[in-house]
Amino acid sequence: MSVLVLVGTRKGLFLLESDESRRDWKLDGPLLTGWSVFHAVLDTRDGTIHAATNNEVYGATVHRSPDRGETWARAEELGLPEESGLTLEKTWHVEPGRPGEDGRLWLGAAPGVLFRSDDGGATWEPVEGILRHETRDRWYPGAGGMCCHSVQLDPDEPGRMYVGISAAGVFRTDDGGESWLPANKGTAADFLPDPWVEVGQCVHKVLLHPGEPGRLWQQNHCGVYRTDDRGESWERLEGNGLPSGFGFPLALDHRDPDAALVVPEEGAENRVTNDGRIGVYRTRDGGASWELLRDGLPQRAWGAVMREGFGADRLDPPGVYLGTQSGSLFVSADAGDTWLEAVSQLPPILSVEAAQWS
Amino acid sequence: MVVVVLPGILAAEAGGRKRFELDAPTVGDALRALPVADRLLDERGELRTLVNVYVDGTDARARGGLAAPLEGGETVRLVGAIAGG
Repeated sequence: MSVLVLVGTRKGLFLLESDESRRDWKLDGPLLTGWSVFHAVLDTRDGTIHAATNNEVYGATVHRSPDRGETWARAEELGLPEESGLTLEKTWHVEPGRPGEDGRLWLGAAPGVLFRSDDGGATWEPVEGILRHETRDRWYPGAGGMCCHSVQLDPDEPGRMYVGISAAGVFRTDDGGESWLPANKGTAADFLPDPWVEVGQCVHKVLLHPGEPGRLWQQNHCGVYRTDDRGESWERLEGNGLPSGFGFPLALDHRDPDAALVVPEEGAENRVTNDGRIGVYRTRDGGASWELLRDGLPQRAWGAVMREGFGADRLDPPGVYLGTQSGSLFVSADAGDTWLEAVSQLPPILSVEAAQWS
Repeated sequence: MVVVVLPGILAAEAGGRKRFELDAPTVGDALRALPVADRLLDERGELRTLVNVYVDGTDARARGGLAAPLEGGETVRLVGAIAGG
């Protein structure tokens, strides 16, 4: 068994492979040359790699490879209906369906749209309940466009899933995607005259804990949050060691629902890592307190880690992966305690995603 | 018969093929016949803003865009505008 890390960059996709020690990494790539890979994931159901790919000239699409990057196919049908008045701007995140949902994939995209595929990524249909959501006129784009960047499936409830859209907020469906409820109560939109609106929150990343699916964590433009009731209400978790509530990346420990890791930035007006270093902050008590993890991370750095540029694997202890805009991938094989630079001088890293590969 | 020449990134998307010879009465017909048509045109069928099309060295947008007629024998060259970084 080996660990495969898919590293999406502004200039192609790189693959890093290691054994379970996660100490020595073999680099392969770039693949998908010429494309910005906003996110890439290995579908463990069938071994296919899916990549959300964008090009300034040639638009947004999704590529897939059944043979670990040797050959690629591009989505055949992917677009928005004319009557919507919208056209596809960017693709952001591919989320494979649950085990047993063969061929099903979800794609988060801009402008604030979600697609579903039932044929392994060849054709994609927009999810009408998001496309025509009754609150859409109160959504607006963040700096990265109006991106649907988080897609989380409840592993136990086949009809339940969540999306995060910036800046629209978090939405939950309990009926497989037909209808979507705003799930933003308790998350602030400090940049609006009334910060406690139903929708319009600038959510940056949402993750569901696989072992406790009612619990989700959220890194927002305005704070770090946790919900224990499927998004019915959120609790803000700043202070107690966290230097800033502003940031993009978020990672969880699959063994422990009380653990989360973030990489804060100074703030919306100065988007660099806090205190002139790259620091990961971890809580193990549900967000009541945070500790700085920096052993092996640059202590003189003004870094940036994109919302997809951070993630964890499912080993024990879990590996944590941090990719920077400076092109370095840092790996922790011990849940964040210590870090090694696995590779440097890649193009700016947009996404990391780890999978076990046999 | 016209010759259509793809840029490298789109040739990779077309299985490595850079030149296509095809019959097409208009620029739009020529583009729609390519296996990378979806990268040149958006879902409305409009030419993507930063894709430039040159017919024998002349910008097709100055000759009617996708409706620009082709008589046969022309070389249609697709070039990405300078964008990105």
